[in-house]
Amino acid sequence: MASDQDLVVETVRDVLAGHEPFALTADTAWDAGLWADLADAGLTGVGLPEEAGGSGGELADAVAVVRTLASGAGAVPVAEQLLVAGPAVLAAGLDLPDPAEPLTLAVAGAVTAAPSDDGDGPGRWTLTGTATDVAWAGVARSVAVLAAAPAGIEGAVLALVDARGLATSDARNLAGEPRGSLVLAGAPASGALLTAEQAGVVRARYALARAVQLGAALEQVLAWTVQYAGERQQFGRPIGKFQSVQMQLAQMAGEVTAVSALVDAAVHVLERDEDVVLAAAAAKVRAGAAVEVVARLAHQVHGAIGFTQEYRLHHLTRRLWSWRDEAGSELTWSKVLGAGLLSRGGDELWPALTRVV
Amino acid sequence: MSSSLTLAPAPSSQAAEEVRAQVREFLAAELAAGSFSTHVDTWLSGVDPAFSRKLGERGWLGMTWPREYGGHERTAMERYAVTEELLAAGAPVAAHWIADRQSGPNLLRYGTETQRKEILPRIAAGECYFVIGMSEPDSGSDLASIRTRAVRNGDGDFVVNGAKVWTSNAHHSHYAIVLVRTGPPGEGPRGKHQGLTQLLVDLSLPGITINPIRILDGGHHFNEVVFDDAVVPGDMLLGEEGAGWHQVTAELAFERSGPERFLSTYPLLAEFGRRVADSGDAAQLATLGRLSSRLLALRQLSLRIAAALDRGELPDIPAALVKDVGTTFEADVAEEVRKVVEVPVSLDSPDPLGRALAEAQLHAPGYTLRGGTNEILRGIVARGLGLR
Repeated sequence: MASDQDLVVETVRDVLAGHEPFALTADTAWDAGLWADLADAGLTGVGLPEEAGGSGGELADAVAVVRTLASGAGAVPVAEQLLVAGPAVLAAGLDLPDPAEPLTLAVAGAVTAAPSDDGDGPGRWTLTGTATDVAWAGVARSVAVLAAAPAGIEGAVLALVDARGLATSDARNLAGEPRGSLVLAGAPASGALLTAEQAGVVRARYALARAVQLGAALEQVLAWTVQYAGERQQFGRPIGKFQSVQMQLAQMAGEVTAVSALVDAAVHVLERDEDVVLAAAAAKVRAGAAVEVVARLAHQVHGAIGFTQEYRLHHLTRRLWSWRDEAGSELTWSKVLGAGLLSRGGDELWPALTRVV
Repeated sequence: MSSSLTLAPAPSSQAAEEVRAQVREFLAAELAAGSFSTHVDTWLSGVDPAFSRKLGERGWLGMTWPREYGGHERTAMERYAVTEELLAAGAPVAAHWIADRQSGPNLLRYGTETQRKEILPRIAAGECYFVIGMSEPDSGSDLASIRTRAVRNGDGDFVVNGAKVWTSNAHHSHYAIVLVRTGPPGEGPRGKHQGLTQLLVDLSLPGITINPIRILDGGHHFNEVVFDDAVVPGDMLLGEEGAGWHQVTAELAFERSGPERFLSTYPLLAEFGRRVADSGDAAQLATLGRLSSRLLALRQLSLRIAAALDRGELPDIPAALVKDVGTTFEADVAEEVRKVVEVPVSLDSPDPLGRALAEAQLHAPGYTLRGGTNEILRGIVARGLGLR
C-alpha cells in the first residue's frame, strides 16, 4: 500500500541517522546541517508540485516526512513548509519560494496588509505590525503571513515576505525551538486576498500539522517507554513485568492509538479535499489531550533518568508540551469544534459528528 | 507502534452510509410516533421485543450472517452503522442485543448445523434472545476459576449445577450460552483454561431458577441464574468439549469492540448539545468539543475493528483497547457535563438533561466492569505491547 511512503520514511531516517538529532541549545536555534541534507535529498519539497519547484509526491508522502522528523525530534521547519505554508502559498496563487530555503508561516499577532504600488505589478502589499509566536522566526528565509485585510475589505491577506533583515525576538518554546515575534514595519510582500473561510483552512492545516507531529511523537514516546520497561531491571526483573507498570503502559497505548486513528482520519479528509476545519480541530484537541497522560506516565516509568538532559526522553516530551499549545490550544479548537458541530442546531449533533471524519 | 495494536484504516462504505440514512429515517418516525423515548444505556436497560421485531423485519439484525441462516450477508461496516444509529438515538435494543452481537456469531462459528438452522433465523427476526453465562459470584473477570460444572449422565446429557450472575435480561431471554467446567484443570499457569466447555442452554428447562439482581437505579436487568441438576441435552454442546476457553476468547472480541462501548451515554451528550446550542456558553462549547474529539477518535478505532472483522480477522487485543478507552469515556461524559451545567440531577427531574445525568450516573459503575474490567483489558493490551 505505502511503498512510496516507506521509501520516503527510509530516506528521512537515513538522513536523520547522520545527525546528532537533539542539538538544540541556547546557541543553536535549529539543525541547519540536517536541513541542508534534507534539502539536498529533495525532502524539503515533498508533496509540493514539481512545476512549482517542489519535489512532487502526494500529501501522504509529505505527512510521512513530517512524522519521521517529529519522531526523531528533528529541529527543522519541515511541518510548517510542507503541510501549511507551502500549500497555502500555492493555493493563494503565489510563487513558491525555493524549497531548499526554509519557509514558515505567521498566523498570530496583529499584522495589517495594505495594497502597495511599488511598481512590481498587482498582488503587491505592504505589511505593518507584529506577528507573534512565529515558528522558526529568525531561521526561516521567508514567511507566509496571514494578515488582516485593509479596512472595508472582507477576509484576510496571505502575504509572502522575505524574512531577511526583519527584526526578530528570540523567544523559544519549552523544547528550545524558536517561537519569536517578527516586526513588520512596512515590509513589502506579494500576497492574495483570502476569504475568511480560506484563512480558516490555513489555520486548520497548521493545527493538523501539529497534530500529525504530536501523533508521531506520542507513538515514539510510547515505543521508548515500552523498550525501557523491558530492559530496566528492578527487584530482580524488568519493570515491565510489574502489573502496575503494565497498567500505565497500556493506558499510554490507549491514548496513543486513539490519537493515531483520529489524526490519520483527519489527514484523509485533507487528501479527499473535503472541509478539513472540524477534522483538524478534533485531531488537534485529541492529540493535545493525550499529551498529559502519555508524557506524565512516560516520565513516571522512566524514573529519574528520564528527567535528565542527558537522556533522550525530554527531547520529545518537551516538544509534546509545546506543540499541544501551538497553532491553537485544546481550548481554542474545542470551542471551534463544539460550535461547528452545533452549526445546524442542537438536534443535529449526531449527524454532524458522523460527518467530521 | 506494536502491530498487534494498530489496524488499517477502515475503507469508506457507500452501502453503510445508505443503511445509516435508512435507520435514521426509521428512528425519527418511531420517535415521532412515540414508540420509544430516549434513555441512557439502553443496550442494557431498554427491553422492547416489539421494537426488536421491527428491526428484524427491516433486515437490521443478523446483518452479516449467511442468508441460509436468516442473515443478510452485509458487511460489518453496514452493521456498524446500524448499531451506532440505534445507540445514538437511545433506542430500546436490549432484548436482542447480546444475541445479535455475540451469541449469533458464536453459533455461526461453533454451532452444529441443527443449532444454526433452529436458532439463527429467530435471532435475525428479532424474536429470540440470549444471555451470556460466563461470570459467577466468585469468578468475576477470572473466568478460568468458574465453578459451575456439567457432568454427562448415562444418556450423554449434561447435568449442570452452579450459578451464573450479571446475566443481563435473563428473565426476558430464551437461551444462555453457559461456560461450565466439564473436566479437570491441567498443569501449569494456563492449566485452568483446560476442561471448560460452552453449553447452549434453553432457559425454560426444569432445574433453572432466575432470580433478579437490581442495579442502583432500581432497574432489573441483571439476574442470578441457578442450575440445580438441570439436564441439558447432549446435542446442545456448543463447539468442542473442553475448548470453552478458546471459544470464549473469540466471543469477547465481538463483545468488546462495538460502539456500545463508548455510546452508552451518548443520549446525555445529545441532550447537552441541545443545551449548549441554546446557551452558546464558551465553557460548555469547549466541553462539548473536547468530549466530541474523544468520541470521534473512538469511532475511528471501532470502525477499524469492524473493517478487520470484514477481513476475517479476530482483533481481540485492539478490541480490549477500545473497550478500555471507550468505557472510560462514556463515564467521563457525565462527569465533564456536570462541571459546566447547573441543573438538578434526578431521575424525576422535569429537565431532560438532569434526568439523563441521573441515569448516566447510576449506570456508570457498570461501564468499566461489564465485558471485563479495565484492569483485565489493560493486561491484554500489555500483552499486545509484548510485555507479558
